[in-house]
Amino acid sequence: MADRRYETLVLLHPDLGEPGAKELAERVKKLIEDQGGTVGQVQEWGLRELAYLIAKQRRAFYVLFEYRSTSKALLEIERNLKLMDRVLRFVSVRQAENAPPTPPRPAAARRPEREEPEFEGAAEFEGLNEEVS
Amino acid sequence: MAERERGERRGKGEGRGFRRRGMGRRKVCRFCADKTMLIDYKDSRVLGTFLSERGKIIPSRITGNCASHQRHLTLAIKRARTVALLPFTAAYP
Repeated sequence: MADRRYETLVLLHPDLGEPGAKELAERVKKLIEDQGGTVGQVQEWGLRELAYLIAKQRRAFYVLFEYRSTSKALLEIERNLKLMDRVLRFVSVRQAENAPPTPPRPAAARRPEREEPEFEGAAEFEGLNEEVS
Repeated sequence: MAERERGERRGKGEGRGFRRRGMGRRKVCRFCADKTMLIDYKDSRVLGTFLSERGKIIPSRITGNCASHQRHLTLAIKRARTVALLPFTAAYP
């Protein structure tokens, strides 16, 4: 079976703490490898603010795995992720073969926000979308 | 095409086809203009600029994105939402 390029972004429970999150990330990596996947880059984004509450948590550890595996293996990986109760959430995406690998994040050092391009009429958009022809 | 007749030139020709309302400059799809700019669900900074204050996706009619990029953008935003990189609605207090 052809193996494909995937990446999975996993959200880990903040109560794990830094070492606990690392350990669990290692377990997820092993899980992927046990399913016959070859893990490329693993990115740890660290504790990050969530855009909304998940499991009553405001933050989570984000870990990104880039790997190759078969689609069958992916299903199995996802099934196992669902069983891990310290995994708050995850999303798996198939990557194009020629897509560049995710560039590393500038760790925590948030670049100054780019100048936000305000779209003309963006303000008016709120609430009036129904009446537009 | 719409550029050609706008502003002062209107005069009497009332029924002369479509005319842009007002005199805004033509919007160009930002992803077409800058090919190095990729749509990635992990890049919440770029995606966030296409959300309204309430967290709604701004329609392409306002941002000027082309249809194809708008589709990719929409998918990316929805992915980003499932992993809480972007809000579904305005941020909680």
